[in-house]
Amino acid sequence: MFNLKKNIIPNTNIKITTKDSRTFEGLVLPDTTSQKVVLKLSSGYNIGILNKNIQETKSLKNQVSKKNKLPKLKTNKKLPTISILHTGGTIASKVDYETGAVLSQFSPEDIISMFPEIKGLANIDSKLVRNMWSSNMNFNHFNILAKAVEKEVKKGVDGIIVTLGTDALTYASAALSFILEGISIPVIFTASQRSSDRGSSDAFLNLYCAVKFAKEANFAGVAICMHGSSNDDYCNVLPACKTKKLHSSRRNTFQPVNTAPIAKVTTENIEFFPETHHKKRNDSKLKLKLLNPKLKLGILRFHPHFQSSMLEPIKKFDGLIIEGTGLGNGPVECVDEFTKENEKTIKTITALTKKMPVTMTTQCVFGRVNMNVYSYGRKILDSGVWGNHTDMLPETAFVKLAWLLSNYNKKEIKELYHKNLRGEISERTLYND
Amino acid sequence: MTDLDYKKLGFKCGLEIHQQLETHKLFCNCPSIVHDSNPNIKIKRKLRAVAGETGKVDAAAAYEIKKDLKNVYEACSSSSCLIELDEEPPKEVNKDALDIVLQVALLLNAKPVDEIRVMRKTVVDGSNVSGFQRTMLVATDGFIETSKGKVIVDSICLEEESAKKVEKKDDYVKFRLDRLGVPLIEIATDASIKDPEHCKEVASLLGMILRSTNHVKRGIGTIRQDVNVSIKGHPRVEIKGFQDLKSIPKIILYETKREISEIKSKKKTASHVRKADPDFTTSYLRPMPGAARMYPETDVPPIPLEKELLLKIKLPELITEKVMKLEKRYNLSSQLAQELVHNEDFEKYVKTFKISPELIAKSLIEVPKEISKRFNLTTEKINNSSYEEVFKAVENKTINESAILEILTDVAKGNKIDLKKFKKVSTSGIESEIKTMVQANKKLSPNAIMGMVMAKYRGKVDGKKVMEIIKANL
Ligand SMILES: [Zn+2]
Repeated sequence: MFNLKKNIIPNTNIKITTKDSRTFEGLVLPDTTSQKVVLKLSSGYNIGILNKNIQETKSLKNQVSKKNKLPKLKTNKKLPTISILHTGGTIASKVDYETGAVLSQFSPEDIISMFPEIKGLANIDSKLVRNMWSSNMNFNHFNILAKAVEKEVKKGVDGIIVTLGTDALTYASAALSFILEGISIPVIFTASQRSSDRGSSDAFLNLYCAVKFAKEANFAGVAICMHGSSNDDYCNVLPACKTKKLHSSRRNTFQPVNTAPIAKVTTENIEFFPETHHKKRNDSKLKLKLLNPKLKLGILRFHPHFQSSMLEPIKKFDGLIIEGTGLGNGPVECVDEFTKENEKTIKTITALTKKMPVTMTTQCVFGRVNMNVYSYGRKILDSGVWGNHTDMLPETAFVKLAWLLSNYNKKEIKELYHKNLRGEISERTLYND
Repeated sequence: MTDLDYKKLGFKCGLEIHQQLETHKLFCNCPSIVHDSNPNIKIKRKLRAVAGETGKVDAAAAYEIKKDLKNVYEACSSSSCLIELDEEPPKEVNKDALDIVLQVALLLNAKPVDEIRVMRKTVVDGSNVSGFQRTMLVATDGFIETSKGKVIVDSICLEEESAKKVEKKDDYVKFRLDRLGVPLIEIATDASIKDPEHCKEVASLLGMILRSTNHVKRGIGTIRQDVNVSIKGHPRVEIKGFQDLKSIPKIILYETKREISEIKSKKKTASHVRKADPDFTTSYLRPMPGAARMYPETDVPPIPLEKELLLKIKLPELITEKVMKLEKRYNLSSQLAQELVHNEDFEKYVKTFKISPELIAKSLIEVPKEISKRFNLTTEKINNSSYEEVFKAVENKTINESAILEILTDVAKGNKIDLKKFKKVSTSGIESEIKTMVQANKKLSPNAIMGMVMAKYRGKVDGKKVMEIIKANL
């Protein structure tokens, strides 16, 4: 694979003499390419050495370090059982200090060795469902995840944790909340914004609180458990369908939109917020209502200088979610010589609504759609766009519409889209600071 | 210091210098201002030992999340952003800081690595919010020439400064974040330093080279020296916390003597860290930390150091070279040249005014000292325009050189420059007056007569000529 001097082999020790007569001893790392050797020196530093600068190499004896085998976990019959379903690296990444590589660990023994504090909370079962970034996921993966949840439910576990990358987490949590009809136990999504290879990771508190909530809260359904602030003091349990990633990097990136958190969890206790209604643990039977992976749906944002041609490819789609401006408005009126394009836009929208559901949400993030207020809003409403008076996040609206198209007939779809099924629509917009 | 035979003792000594750089922070655009203003940000974090570091499951050793020890971090928005708070990934390495480190590396005859890989060095005491310090090896295999031979500079690293611990209580430790992320250069020599005096020489040489870049921070706490000392039969001891360079030889001497007596008493000692105390002795601080655990900082891309980039590095003139040049070019004493080396105005004045460079040098360095010594005055009121006015007057010969001290003393007192007061009086004009004085005071020495003349004409006449006239009339 490498056009290299023979003894430059990843994961072996080597002595390199460079043309400027320096010598370096260290471990050849796997990021070594045909241009350069990446070496971990005994000081701990990594450096890159260009192949063209290498004079001589000599293999050194490898010090084989003993990898301790983890002891098998014993079940404690007094404790509830929690299953952790993994879909990716960050929360379960561990550093190999010899090579500096970050490895993902998923066996129950690995998880307990990384998060020993959850050992006393519950019997932990742990599985890797898929190893991928959340943004790479599609409906197929949401279905796989739902089936994995079903399998654990059938085993009779007391709660399920799903770990996922944060980027598209709320799409997945919304999808599972629709798919898992009649779920009778907590299914808690958790993640980390700082990977768990560092001492400052938010993973420790997030996972601890998620496990604590999943095993002891009288709650049934899908929710998200993540840092409530920048401090390591508490986590919020957030509604699966009404939560948004609002910051690209902060720990408390997930915030409830148009609602309050379900509960506040510390290492000591769980406190439910009175404003939010939630289902309690029950005996209902889980029924999977999966997504049709063949569906094509899009999310599109209205903005000044909008070009109607952006809507053209949508004609072949099965549904469209619009992120309107303000209350659900957009550039659809011809008011002067410069706004003729808007005429085309509303014409195309009207044509689309005849073929597929087209629904309105707001790009404001917070608040409700009301297309009755302005003339251009009314024009959009008259063109056959759905979603008036809903307060769904575009992400949730997207997942919900796909799920409805996958499982219901035309007439039902329109009615159900406007009806609150999983907490995705609030009847009243409450005042929240 | 000559009472010990260091060679015979198997004396080994190496130096590690940490110096803060005068640029913005290493991985963000926050300014490197260390200050005490009231913090507007306060966060509480728990730093957990990451299990698995030791390669074994040790639930007891792993930090218990329920344990209440917290790190409290206080910060000001003016000097800290989300990156210091570990709430945003780092930006790319500060190019100015890297440039300075490369300058120093080349001045130390070191060779840069082909490609820098930024590392995370695990830090568990809370002084880095992230739980690690970002650090990178920039150059290796340097050396400096000293009076006792070459000393090898093993490595030159660029790293981020830690947060300052300000309070420790039973259940929390408080840190301030303004210092966190300030670029720090680390220079490590090999253990070939020969004796305590030599260590001081190496430290001051390295300090001089660092200051030559003109981009290192000055003042207390901006440079730190760690010295590693051992003799045959005694494990390595690291000494931290030197107050100044002057204390280095004495502290190392005392440490060497302490190690000798330890060996004599057959006490078993392990390698450890000691703190330099004001009385030149040292006291036990903590055991020697194990090898630093490092793993890649994956958020920062590797930095290739291509030849073209290195060729662009402008090397500053060393302070020692600058001093020698000043000495030679302007025929100055080495003491004067050393003090002038940081004065940006000297050469400008030399170019502007046709007067002796030595006079300019003395006016800039010695006159203010004299004024503060003689009149117990501060000299901050003497500014560029006072110098320009005075030098111009000397150049036009409207005043005498000796008037400079008088005029600048007036300025220091807060008065306006009044050249008329010091208007040059030609010596021939007062020749007859001097003659009369000499005749009237025949019993007095020439110096005493000189004193009388100068009391009246100080700053207005040329003293040398006055003396000539006195002597001629005696
Ligand atoms: Zn910053």
